Amino acid sequence: MKTLKLILMAVVATFALTSCTYNKLVEQEETVTRAWADVEAQYQRRADLIPNLVNTVKGYAAHEKEALEAVVNARSKATQISIDPSNVTPEQLAEFQAAQGEITQALGRLIAISESYPDLKANEQFSELQAQLEGTENRIAESRRLYNEAVQTYNVSVRRFPNIIWAWIFKFDKKVPFAAEAGAAKAPEVQF
Amino acid sequence: MRRSLLFILSIILTVTSLAATYTVDNLPIPYLQDKTQYVSNPDNLLSQSAVDSLNLWLGQMEAAHGVQTVLAVVERIEGGETYDFCMALGRKYGIGRKEQNSGLIILLSTGDRAYTILTGRGLEGTLPDAICKRIENYQMLPALREGNWDEAMLNAVRAITKYVDGDDSLVGSSDFDDGDTGALIGFLLCMLIGLGIIFFAIWYDERRKSYCPSCKQYKMKKISSYTTKNKRLGIRTHHDTYRCSHCYFTKELHWDENLNSGSGAAAGGALGGSFFGGGGRSFGGSFGGGSFGGGGASGRF
Repeated sequence: MKTLKLILMAVVATFALTSCTYNKLVEQEETVTRAWADVEAQYQRRADLIPNLVNTVKGYAAHEKEALEAVVNARSKATQISIDPSNVTPEQLAEFQAAQGEITQALGRLIAISESYPDLKANEQFSELQAQLEGTENRIAESRRLYNEAVQTYNVSVRRFPNIIWAWIFKFDKKVPFAAEAGAAKAPEVQF
Repeated sequence: MRRSLLFILSIILTVTSLAATYTVDNLPIPYLQDKTQYVSNPDNLLSQSAVDSLNLWLGQMEAAHGVQTVLAVVERIEGGETYDFCMALGRKYGIGRKEQNSGLIILLSTGDRAYTILTGRGLEGTLPDAICKRIENYQMLPALREGNWDEAMLNAVRAITKYVDGDDSLVGSSDFDDGDTGALIGFLLCMLIGLGIIFFAIWYDERRKSYCPSCKQYKMKKISSYTTKNKRLGIRTHHDTYRCSHCYFTKELHWDENLNSGSGAAAGGALGGSFFGGGGRSFGGSFGGGSFGGGGASGRF
């Protein structure tokens, strides 16, 4: 009888202590989900800017078909990939990142080309679109940083000792952060 | 001799050029010491009259719309990237009210020939990136190309004020609980209630002592008192004799005082301490913890 009482007390005590851990994990997971929603919103914002930008450039440099099409194609490819943040695999995230990276590169080329069209550069709408695009790239970088921070906090607490048991019972899996942009580690090559 | 002079000169030059390169950590923020000073002008690139005007306008903007601004004009920043610098600054100080994330950072680094207007998350609707760019292109750039920093900053803030004034959704700082007045009122209220309780207790105690159990009237008065000390127990016993002025009934009251705790004096000290502690208020400003998501626009000239 006495042992039964002890066991009962132990069970009650552990659950009383766990609710705290459990709530913390839920909270941190929610932060990750929110951070991911922000990342997606910022990428969407960039995708929404592209048609406008392409049309503006077309008006001045219609024969730069290749660069224009590259942007449009990259955009349509990237918008097809949607990710569920609660169970994303590293491969899925890498795919998403690669598709978005393609847009970044295509846009970079388009902006570089537009440098050689003085009329386009002087166009107010183009200048403002460029500013919006730049702001969006900044926002993407910031939201990705916040997402990675949230993931790191969550991953650390999931793997800490007593938490790891409850994380295992309640199926709190590790989350995947963004990897550094492909090519970011490589110094750019300059050729003369 | 000449060589050593040259050496000293070169050292002085390096030191002065180092001093003019600011990091997020060593950029002075005068707002923290004086909340009417929004402009950080450590290299004196802006004239005093321009600084005064900017402070006035930015003060009005904070009062009316709760937009908290840091405007800095410096010779050179570490790294030379004004956007990164502004983001780090915003992250460090949490510029802008948390409720509406209405922080604004305007940075001009003349040596790097770069500038940034960075908008807090809550300001992105009022000052979209395109509008920031337009302000920079039309209000700042012409003056910047002439090296007229005063004009560039005055124009920029004038234009920003126009956009901010047009947005009624931004709430002024007076509509938020300022914290300062709120805290003061709360403090005074607590003091008042505390004093009331103390006075009531004293009054109640006196009344209780003056109650005559014989004629049921509150007419007992203290006619004599003496104390005895018990060192072993550490108590002092008061023997007070009360007599009723109505029926001449006499009663003796005993009460013990603990000698080891100078309770009366300590309470008085604490009271005085907290009362005077409320005094020395500083007039420095504090930032509200606003966050920045990367909105705004940057450029070079």
